[in-house]
Amino acid sequence: MSHALAADAVPQSVLGNSLWVAIIASVHIQIATFLTGASTLTVVSESIAMLREGHDQRHGRLAHGLLRSMVYTFSFDAAIPIFWVLFVFLGLWGTFFIALTRITFWVFIFEAALFLAEVILLYTLYGSWDRLTAYRRARLGLLVLLNLVLFWQMFFIDVVASYMLTPNGGDRSQLAQILNPTDLPLTVHRLIGNIAWAGAVTAAFAAVRYLRAVRRAPEDAPFYDWVVQWGVLFAIGFTILQPWVGYSYAKEVQLHAYGAWYTMMFGELSNVFLLQITLLGLIFILATLYLLRRLRASGASGVRSLRLALGLEIVATLLAAMPSRFAWTEGDVTARHLDRPFWQGGLENPIGTMIPNKIIALLALMAAGVWALTVYLKALSRDQLHWGEATRRSARGVIALAVVVSMMMATMGVIREHSRRPYLIYGEMTIEGQHVVDHAQPSPGATQR
Amino acid sequence: MTRYSRRRALITGTAVGGAAIGLMLSIPAIGFVISPLFQARRNSWVRVTTLESVPLETPTPFTVSVPIDQGPPGEPVDRVVYVVRRRSGRVYVLSNTCSHMQCNVHWDPKLGASGQFLCPCHGGLYDITGLNVGGPPPSPLPPWRHRISTLPDGSRLLEIENQYAENV
Amino acid sequence: MAVLRFLARPLSRRLRSGYGWVDERAGTTSMLHKGLYEAVPKRGGWAYALGSATLALILLQLFTGIFLLLDYVPSFNQAFDSLHYLETSDRFGSWVRGMHLWGAYVLILVIGLHMLRTFLSASYKRPRELNWVSGAVLFFLTLGLAITGAMLPMDNAGYWTAVVVTNIPHYIPFIGDGIRSLWRGSDFVGPVTLTRTFGIHIWVLPFLLFALIGGHLMLLRRHGEFGSWVNYQTDTDDPEREITERILKAEPPYPTKRTGRRWAAPRDTVDFFPDQIFKDIVISVVLIAVIFVMGYIAGAPLDERADPATLTYVPTPEWFYLPLDQMLLLYPSNYLILVGGLGLVGIGATLLTLLPFLDRSHARAPLRRPEVIIPGLLLALAVVMLAVLGANRLFNL
Repeated sequence: MSHALAADAVPQSVLGNSLWVAIIASVHIQIATFLTGASTLTVVSESIAMLREGHDQRHGRLAHGLLRSMVYTFSFDAAIPIFWVLFVFLGLWGTFFIALTRITFWVFIFEAALFLAEVILLYTLYGSWDRLTAYRRARLGLLVLLNLVLFWQMFFIDVVASYMLTPNGGDRSQLAQILNPTDLPLTVHRLIGNIAWAGAVTAAFAAVRYLRAVRRAPEDAPFYDWVVQWGVLFAIGFTILQPWVGYSYAKEVQLHAYGAWYTMMFGELSNVFLLQITLLGLIFILATLYLLRRLRASGASGVRSLRLALGLEIVATLLAAMPSRFAWTEGDVTARHLDRPFWQGGLENPIGTMIPNKIIALLALMAAGVWALTVYLKALSRDQLHWGEATRRSARGVIALAVVVSMMMATMGVIREHSRRPYLIYGEMTIEGQHVVDHAQPSPGATQR
Repeated sequence: MTRYSRRRALITGTAVGGAAIGLMLSIPAIGFVISPLFQARRNSWVRVTTLESVPLETPTPFTVSVPIDQGPPGEPVDRVVYVVRRRSGRVYVLSNTCSHMQCNVHWDPKLGASGQFLCPCHGGLYDITGLNVGGPPPSPLPPWRHRISTLPDGSRLLEIENQYAENV
Repeated sequence: MAVLRFLARPLSRRLRSGYGWVDERAGTTSMLHKGLYEAVPKRGGWAYALGSATLALILLQLFTGIFLLLDYVPSFNQAFDSLHYLETSDRFGSWVRGMHLWGAYVLILVIGLHMLRTFLSASYKRPRELNWVSGAVLFFLTLGLAITGAMLPMDNAGYWTAVVVTNIPHYIPFIGDGIRSLWRGSDFVGPVTLTRTFGIHIWVLPFLLFALIGGHLMLLRRHGEFGSWVNYQTDTDDPEREITERILKAEPPYPTKRTGRRWAAPRDTVDFFPDQIFKDIVISVVLIAVIFVMGYIAGAPLDERADPATLTYVPTPEWFYLPLDQMLLLYPSNYLILVGGLGLVGIGATLLTLLPFLDRSHARAPLRRPEVIIPGLLLALAVVMLAVLGANRLFNL
């Protein structure tokens, strides 16, 4: 069994190394993804601000605020990749990094060039935001450029991340390596996820400011109340699409890295996956709860519909997060010859199977999300919401939402990075000794049923 | 009053005439369209191979010219017959028609623990006995109707009928 | 005698009096006046040109299709040979076939943009609901034409498209197997399948298509182009008076009946001829030039002869069916394919068609009706996303 082997054979020092990588990677990913998503939100707000000039000052203010927050977080984050490359990769994982650089040389060159472009664009915009107000179209152009730079930065780092899981045989053309089976699924997954994540962070930050403004500066309360709902709309709206993308992504892993997929769905990581599904359900539930509370605070119509959607989401989450067996891994079940339903004395739980029960649950989750969103937007377009009326409880719920999204991202990173164990590059390079294996085949423990 | 009833009669007459035309056109049209559903099938047996020439535990594809069993008579069509001989002595005679969207399934020895049938269209997976074990296929690979007879020289002849044993 | 007198006149006078003779009998001038001198909103004319570009491209398909019909043999055994001859022995034949294919590609793209424009500008609201409904049905008919056309060459791509597509109805409960057998003329794709698909492609669907196009254009002429909410903004301090004046001096087809006063007549209009038709022709020329060039350079691919016993050929859908194909991947088990693959798509198509009856608010500006725009854009994003994922999956097979 491959995963058992990984746990036993990896020496302590290597585990220590991967812990370093994990901690730094998590911090870097959370910030970098926020930057990518926030740049999109900035472009959206700035465009609306220009369209509705004279009618709506809020979008202009939000765009400026988002850009400032990007600069602050970027200045903190910029040190990490440099530290990562110099210290972690070259120092602790030399063989691996050199091998990876050989494979993805151009990818790293592009990455570095884009980093430079990002620095220039971000600080230019930050330093001359007010001066550029006279040339608003040019400023929007720079923002769009920044958004594109960040997108391609994400695209090229996705090449590395996806290549490590589905390396495409290793001997194919550079294009085939770049467009390896999980590169585009990961890119789409992240592109959408980053916007949702940036929406959640924006909403949570605004919620903190709202809670303070209610006490100390009531004139700011309407603005922050509005920003909270604006951020939540992005968080829920884009998360609705994620189950589809995620499923397609997992499907590619199944077809091109079967062993990793097996670990993820039936092996040791299957329980982490259940945690991830729970968190996904919580995102839907918390977002819908916020929309419901927000409608109720202004006495708007649609509260009953939202209550129904919330109920549906809770049921769907419970079904989706239900384990399909009462043992740690599927391997434990087959080892004890108890692979039959629990009502026949076995350890299997046919109610919690992926196909088709959990897929139905995910579809229900998405449907409820769309419904909740539509009901809320309807009330919004009928001017039934008055800003500054949100309850303190709803604001606290939004902070919880951002925490859940953050945990969700960390969990997904853990699953993606650990599913390919004991490989660093799936089927080609192991952690132990970091040497290149000659195209080993996936070795799942048992046949999938 | 008379004008009114004359008018009524003309309108009714037109409607009846229209309905009559519709009926006269639709009876043969509908009958024409659905007639293939009631056509008799032309079943026949086709030789595939002798079982001795099939390696054990390895799904082996044979291309067999199968006569069309419905519609206007035409030339036989080449179809794939996967013959699987298990060590236990059981023989599976599978078509390579995916039960999902009927794409062409093939055996890939690199998949799963010791090989699986893969449908390239939507990634459907079947085990060596044709059981659907992954991806979207809703049911196993449809087996061909087949019979095995012993030849005078002692070898066993496998034949299929130009029909699947179950509906896909 | 009259003929001799006619011939004795100078040419220009001869033409004029000849036209006068026809006009007196056929009413050509008044017909042209009616068709050409109509009011169209001034702003946004380039966006309205997408509609006439769609019409131009459909006519192009009819034109190139007729020429293909002169060579193509709709027989299971000969279809491939006839197209192989057309591709290899006839330079203009392959060009015409290339233009037919690229015409279809561009047409679907342009219809999509035309729909998106109508959606964003809320042109489908009262009294133009039926314009939208007929347009949506036209879109589905075009998709049907595209998929039936893809089956006709009976190369590997066509054969396997036929297998997969004619198999889809089989998931409908009770009658599904029957529909599949009717379409295929058998349990398997065979000679009858091709003949029936051919009949559907060249007669059934085009007949419905052109009938509906007539209706669509009639409705357009009845209510006039809506355009965008921008065309209905008021500038003065007295909007009521401004709108009243606008309605008073409106040209046909405005003011549109049975609509809110504000939306009855646009602020500024131009004549359809020559202001709008110039924009229409520019867009059509560009699109047809693309088709003309791509039809020659890229042409239309013709695979190997159909091989029902292939173990290596990977059936791949046309790019515009990638989102639907990717959705099929996501639904395992019989009833999920029914509910997810057919049901959801059916519900989506129905909702799309019935959009005017779902979005009944009076708001027209996109930012004023987020409850329609945002789910609509999310749906569009989902379609693009599924297409990307589907393309990626096929690239890596």
